[in-house]
Amino acid sequence: MLLKRFAWLFVVGMVIAGCAAPAAVAPAGQAAPDTAPATPNVLTVSSTANVTTWDPIKSFSTEAEYLANLYEPLLRINPPGAAERFSPVLAESWESDADGKTWTFKLRPNVKFHDGEPLTADAVKQSIEAAKDHAGASFIWAPLESVEAVDDLTVKFNLSYAAPLDLIASSLYGAWIVSPKALAAVAADENYFEAGVEAGTGPYMLESYTPDQEVLLTRFDDYWGNWQDGQFDKVLVKIVPEAVQQQQMLEGGEVDLALRLPAENYASFKDKPGYTLLTEPSFFNYVGFLNTLRPPLDNPKVRQAIAYAIPYQDIIDVATFGQATQARGPVPAGVWPYSEEVTQYATDLEKAKALMAEAGFADGGIDLRLTYAAENKTEERFAPVIKDALAEIGINVSIEPILFNQQWEEAKSDPANAQDMFLLLYWPTYSDAGTDNLYSMFHSSEAPFFNLSYWKNEEFDTLIDEAAMLTVTDPDASLEKYVKAQNLLVDEAPGIFFFDTKAPFVIPDHIGGFQYNLNYPFATFFYDLYRNPAQ
Amino acid sequence: MNRLEFLIRRIVASLFVLIGVSIITFMLARVVPSNPAAVYIGPKARPADIERVTKQLGLDQPLPLQYARYMGDLVRGDLGNSISTKRPVLLELQSRLPATLELLFAGMLIAVLFGVPMGVISAQKQGKASDLAIRVVAILGVSIPAFGLGLLLQILFFRWLGLFPLSGRVGKELRFASPIIENTGFLLLDSLITLNFTAFQDALWHIVLPAITLAAYPLGLVARMTRGAMLEVQQQDYIRTARAYGTPERVTVFVYALKNAIGPTLTVIGLTFAFALTGTFFVEIIFNWPGMGLFTVRSLLNLDYPAIMGIALFGAAGYVLINLVVDLVQAWIDPRISLR
Repeated sequence: MLLKRFAWLFVVGMVIAGCAAPAAVAPAGQAAPDTAPATPNVLTVSSTANVTTWDPIKSFSTEAEYLANLYEPLLRINPPGAAERFSPVLAESWESDADGKTWTFKLRPNVKFHDGEPLTADAVKQSIEAAKDHAGASFIWAPLESVEAVDDLTVKFNLSYAAPLDLIASSLYGAWIVSPKALAAVAADENYFEAGVEAGTGPYMLESYTPDQEVLLTRFDDYWGNWQDGQFDKVLVKIVPEAVQQQQMLEGGEVDLALRLPAENYASFKDKPGYTLLTEPSFFNYVGFLNTLRPPLDNPKVRQAIAYAIPYQDIIDVATFGQATQARGPVPAGVWPYSEEVTQYATDLEKAKALMAEAGFADGGIDLRLTYAAENKTEERFAPVIKDALAEIGINVSIEPILFNQQWEEAKSDPANAQDMFLLLYWPTYSDAGTDNLYSMFHSSEAPFFNLSYWKNEEFDTLIDEAAMLTVTDPDASLEKYVKAQNLLVDEAPGIFFFDTKAPFVIPDHIGGFQYNLNYPFATFFYDLYRNPAQ
Repeated sequence: MNRLEFLIRRIVASLFVLIGVSIITFMLARVVPSNPAAVYIGPKARPADIERVTKQLGLDQPLPLQYARYMGDLVRGDLGNSISTKRPVLLELQSRLPATLELLFAGMLIAVLFGVPMGVISAQKQGKASDLAIRVVAILGVSIPAFGLGLLLQILFFRWLGLFPLSGRVGKELRFASPIIENTGFLLLDSLITLNFTAFQDALWHIVLPAITLAAYPLGLVARMTRGAMLEVQQQDYIRTARAYGTPERVTVFVYALKNAIGPTLTVIGLTFAFALTGTFFVEIIFNWPGMGLFTVRSLLNLDYPAIMGIALFGAAGYVLINLVVDLVQAWIDPRISLR
């Protein structure tokens, strides 16, 4: 008798435990955060962004999501289509002289760092000098010769050649202005920031940080931009690497916003009331490098055949669920020096076959090895599409997913024996794809870095070198040269230009003010956001 | 005396195991064709910068020298700095360990508290419906992979029924309303110590689903082991004798029979405990449980070899320790076992 009761107890034990739960959990789950006046107005978001460093100088990764709210640059570049190209942030006004080699910035007065220090020309000088010396993105300051603090609020930059310093100063990496006190501290102790210390001028301060778990920001009352009703007192960012998790948290109301929700998890919100869906252009771009060092890909005809054989729309549908546009060369739409005049390949199997025949491969019989980054789910989805498409023109592709670092290491260390095709997701460090995308991926160099086609074309090199020098002083002439270079590039086809991705966002109706800026894809500016009054 | 001698011998032997593990992990982490310095500095660093960091991290030295240096620091309690978080590995492990251990203990508690009685009942009711039901549950527990079960539980209990929270260790309301003051890092314990019952309940509700997910496999194993051992023991003479003397059935089964049957179960519990030490990693990722699992995945992807070393050594030490404890407990329960 007793045993029987035991049996039932244990067999259904867990279910009973589960059923007993609801009565007790309900009040905690439904506590309305807005009713009590004492509770702060908290924005809860989920993000995949990990913190690789809290050092604003060294930062060159996903932590930009948080740093962009703690620190500020001199200027910020606006999204394409805005009335002004730049917005003043810590600088109030700026100008360059006629030759583009001297730039003067007037700083905003009465700005305070979170540690109480005032913003001065000297603080800017020290921050930029530290960035040029050892930033993760120190190379963006390559044209910089010296920085002078002319007076308390005037900074002068002397460059060794004409360069768009306005673009450089608005970079998301290597351009934060940091309190001199903190810079001195980090000079003494390299890991000064890593415990979760910050010293910026931004609207939010870092209240606490629990690795892999959460980042809590709290508003800086002395912020120069002031505060208005509805803006958030605190921002709690939950670090959630799994997309499905993020989707569930957003649906269940556990978070107000899910940042970096991938395209495949976006569709489920389409027919749900209470959400606005946005698809914004981004500056991410997918490229496939063809190894031009050895046959058969040293033959431009074979490369062109491949470019014609690729089903661009299918790839966009499969890889991004339609959230992308076919690329025009390696410069993403909306980023300098993008131009509609750059040609695109349209899928044309007949032309591809004809080119193969011209190259002497009428019967096919080519084996190619394609590598892609194993951690990239988008590439995982479209690599097989490439394989199928190229099979049509007699090219047999073997697909190899490798962790990005290993893939890259192989490609750099032994080009002659490396992969035939290399898929890469690329984005410019700051909003100049001329000196970044075009230069980094296709300018020749002694040792390969991101130019993984190993392509050498003197005409292309000269064109983009000259164009870069003209960017500030004669933008029209510069763009003309860039377009010529890109058309040459597309025609020679050392790379396949797949698509520019779009960034999908799901915004619940109770959150207002969301603005996306394609120039800062890794950042969300929480200061813009506010809670909509309940309808 | 015997026990002390045994302990010393085992600890010395364990040291060699750990040294072996450290050598293998170190070599494996470093023969991968990729440069940790490049990872350290970020995706677009120039070659000159990579070279500078290579020197700075000491990666330009020969491997045996690097290993010797690592072990030298290790002996002094310094596990180095993580490449991906730039913080001391020891600190990273310490801050995540309580979350993993809390989940582990909760999971094993469920496995033992439910698994052993289930096994006993199953054996008592051999061939009957309850036996069948328990055996089905046990087999399901052993065969459903953690990620599948975790997702199913989430859909059922969070999405459909709304009984339990989806993920994490505490809810967001609690974060500001009644935050837990952390002393041990074990949230259940910390909230109890500070008499923060709202927080205790919240933390408890959060741990239920991940703990069940983690418990499924060991529970199935424990139930099956116990059942098998019980069936064997119950046919022995002394049980019949006990019954003949009119000892109450409850006492016969749960005291006399179980005590003899528990040996193999204990071994299994020990093994699965050690197994669950790394098995929690899957569960942690599904439930966004901020323990060692997430950190491990991140370290592996970033070739963060100081962190990988730390995790491997921790895992190995855990295995060794748990097995030692199991041996001691076995000897304590069954005096016929001599520790050698």
